[in-house]
Amino acid sequence: MANPATLRKSDKDIPKIAQKICDDMLKDLEHAKRPILEAVKCSLDNSLYDSKVGYLTPGKKMVATELNVSSVQKMARTVFFLDILLNNIKTGAVNTKRELYYMAKGFVKSDPHYKPLDFDDQNESDAIIQFICDMLTVYREEMNCFANDRGGQTYSKQLVVTEHLPDGTRAEVDLGSLGTTPFQPKNKPQVFKLKSKGKIDFCLVIESEGTANTLVSNGFTKRHKCIMVGAQGVPSNGVRGWVRTIQDQLKIPCYFYGDLDAYTLQNIYRTLKAGSAASLIRNSEFSAPEVKFLGVLPEDVKKYDLHCYPVSEKNPADARSLKKARDVLQNDPFFQDKRNKKLADILNWLLKNKVRCEQQSIFSVNPKDPTMPEKIIVEKIKHGSFV
Amino acid sequence: MASKITQHSTAEYFAKNLQQVGFSSPVKAVLTTLKESVDNSLDACEEAGILPELEVVVRRLGNGSAKNTELVEVIVDDNGPGIDADDLASVFGEYLSSSKFGRGRCSRGQQGIGISAATTWAQLTNAAGVKVTSKTKAMRKAVKAQIDVDIKANKGLVKNKETIDWDRPHGTRVQFCIDGRVQLNGDGGILTYLEGTTLVNPHLTLKYKLLDNEAVEVKRVSDAVPEVPPPTLPHPHTMKLGEFMTHAHLFGKVTLDNFLRKGFSRVADEAIKGFVQHGMPKSFLHKALTTVSEAEFKTAFQAIQSTELQNPSTRSVMIVGEEALSKSIQRLGEVDFFSVVARKPRICDFKPVAVEVAIARFIKKPNLSDEAEQIQLLRFANRVPLQFDKAACAITQAVESVNWRAYGLQQSKDSLPLGPYVFAISVVSPFIKFKNASKETIDASDELVEEIRRALMQAGQKLSRHIKREVRAADLERKLQHIEKFGPILVEALGKIVNAPKARVKRAEDGLAKLLGRDSRDAEKELAEAETQLEKVKAKQKGTSSDDGEGGGEEVAIEAASASDEAPIGADERRGQLEMEFKVEEPEEV
Repeated sequence: MANPATLRKSDKDIPKIAQKICDDMLKDLEHAKRPILEAVKCSLDNSLYDSKVGYLTPGKKMVATELNVSSVQKMARTVFFLDILLNNIKTGAVNTKRELYYMAKGFVKSDPHYKPLDFDDQNESDAIIQFICDMLTVYREEMNCFANDRGGQTYSKQLVVTEHLPDGTRAEVDLGSLGTTPFQPKNKPQVFKLKSKGKIDFCLVIESEGTANTLVSNGFTKRHKCIMVGAQGVPSNGVRGWVRTIQDQLKIPCYFYGDLDAYTLQNIYRTLKAGSAASLIRNSEFSAPEVKFLGVLPEDVKKYDLHCYPVSEKNPADARSLKKARDVLQNDPFFQDKRNKKLADILNWLLKNKVRCEQQSIFSVNPKDPTMPEKIIVEKIKHGSFV
Repeated sequence: MASKITQHSTAEYFAKNLQQVGFSSPVKAVLTTLKESVDNSLDACEEAGILPELEVVVRRLGNGSAKNTELVEVIVDDNGPGIDADDLASVFGEYLSSSKFGRGRCSRGQQGIGISAATTWAQLTNAAGVKVTSKTKAMRKAVKAQIDVDIKANKGLVKNKETIDWDRPHGTRVQFCIDGRVQLNGDGGILTYLEGTTLVNPHLTLKYKLLDNEAVEVKRVSDAVPEVPPPTLPHPHTMKLGEFMTHAHLFGKVTLDNFLRKGFSRVADEAIKGFVQHGMPKSFLHKALTTVSEAEFKTAFQAIQSTELQNPSTRSVMIVGEEALSKSIQRLGEVDFFSVVARKPRICDFKPVAVEVAIARFIKKPNLSDEAEQIQLLRFANRVPLQFDKAACAITQAVESVNWRAYGLQQSKDSLPLGPYVFAISVVSPFIKFKNASKETIDASDELVEEIRRALMQAGQKLSRHIKREVRAADLERKLQHIEKFGPILVEALGKIVNAPKARVKRAEDGLAKLLGRDSRDAEKELAEAETQLEKVKAKQKGTSSDDGEGGGEEVAIEAASASDEAPIGADERRGQLEMEFKVEEPEEV
């Protein structure tokens, strides 16, 4: 019987590490010494980027939480939740963060003396789960906690996905047999084994799930040997891991196509390519460093005469986005890296021209021909018009 | 066919348009009548240097002549200088007959419309004007008469005049019987008006009996009659060309040079030189005013407007003062906290203006809003409460423009803050620009709103120090509770994960108690130290100040509270930093 595929090769014995931390805390308390919990600082100012590595990695900064009147609540909640999670690992049960929030509520209900620990809303319990992961430097998934599947709807005529299930059986999905129905990768995509029926030329990640679906309906995947993925906004861990799996297992070029604006570049494309500052310890598995930015590029705006919207300092939302673009140019190690100079140039272009252009604007080019957007995208890939 | 053009008297105009001067509804009619009478009494007392003692009676006599109205009697009795028998007719029965019109003084009344309008209202609704009893020091007996307005001629008519014995050396008593309706509380209420008047007149002793309620006496808290500063000459930049020319006619045959120097403030050699530089021909200066043509007036006026002049003097502005306000505010109810700010007079729109602000939180005060309702805003212009048309007023706009959340109060965007507070804001100026003749709102110029805003922010800072201290005490309480709640759970959960024996858990519990006990003891100590420091400063202030009423003490307490704030900051900041570090984690996107 084949073992189920795991997320990553890790020799971490999570229950053992957790017990060691708790034991140390208890020892400190016995000696009337303040226990300190240390976790990796997951923020932009502790993010490092090396283009050879390809994703954001944590620096040396740690967040230390010492026991005192202000932190006693958080420490008690951390240890309480750690107990729940360790129990899940022991029994093999998996849960979403929302479910864990309700489980915590259930424990509080069953034992009145836990009442002070009760969580008022999910944000509070999420923060504790995140803290535990940062403290143990493990993935949330390794604590048997999974997010809802979101985004990543995939279409292809050639791709076949195989999953080894815990009961030893095998599930195989031939995407070519699904028609225009997408395949939805789960939030643990690394467990899939991918193979292709014939050669696949490229993988195209589209920011808007709707546009991806339109292209497929109009026959994009019939005419081109490719994989089409809808990102559905900021890519979730699942989408990031899935594109990474495609990139690593199939070794095909991957492209991202989305809006030409600061938000897409920083929050969507950068997160897909190099991960996020909030999940520094897991970017190695949840980012796809080889993805190229296909557009919309400033040169496309000119070449295809695409419609742009003005971005005004007077509009609060626009002003925030402009401010963020300036901040990012100054502080984000990803955009400061020499290899990504062309991406930084696009941000500078956006700041200078104060416009934004949506991905759907290519539908304005020769609207009588429904395959025009497809032609533009393929032409761009063919002529190397990407960054 | 052209219609016939007729002439009407001022009285006729006002008799037809009483709504413009505050008689637009039965409720307002009663309030305006009372207000005009009280204003006149207070102004007269101040002029004569007398400490005012007023007695106000408002009662219902039956149904009014108009539908849905009551017949209301308003009596105001003062110890002022009294009015000569010969002047009674013009004071109460003639419009625009005033001793104060356009003089540039900070008196309550300005134009001589209000009291005549009240007489007209009485006459129109009850067929009898005002009944006046008055006695000056020089009179052996008091004179009593009914004054009506001859509306066609704008003249006062004296009726039923008699002389009587009166039990006082001087004073005036007016009695109006009018159609109206009595409202005591709320923005337009009589009680609100009387409270406001007492607040900004610390030297006033006021007795009042309203309807069937018990009589109330509010004693004065200051024995100083406010000195009304002498009037100032107008500043040339506040005038329009027409006014400038009219002003010139008052001076007769003098030269233009002489007129400019004597008729205006801030015009001397330097200014005259400036006028010439800015295009006023030198020859004009020596011309007699009577020979100056309209075109020449215009040239001169234009030169004056383009010359930079010193700002007008602020000496003509009077203020109530922080100390007097502090004492006065405590007459309104039991005060828990207050802060008072009296700004120095400033120039706004070329006119001297003084702004004073008092913010108080009351423990006990009838009809005061609770936490969820807006604060009670008392507005004053030249020490007269403004009670209607709140939204358009410069004062309201200034209050709404301040971000009170920064000072610890709740507030929705661009509206009045919430809570059981009274905000009293007084604007004093010899030239207040009202939006209407009934003097209900101050015109909101940018400069004036900004000046009021600054005063409010100063008061807000004092308030915020106090609120912060309260919050800190509550915070400590919360933290101490935290220890009791979370400590045992933490140890228990740790013991469970490690599978520790009971003895070990017990040792850890003891250790935790020691640790957290240390923390709470430290925090309590810090708070106690702050309290002692506060007491010390209070005691010290009491020792040094001989004239230290309750108000002075409270004022010191506010400042002292802020000084003692410094003590616990070190520890709190440390905690704050740790908490900050806790919060740096970015939220997960998924």
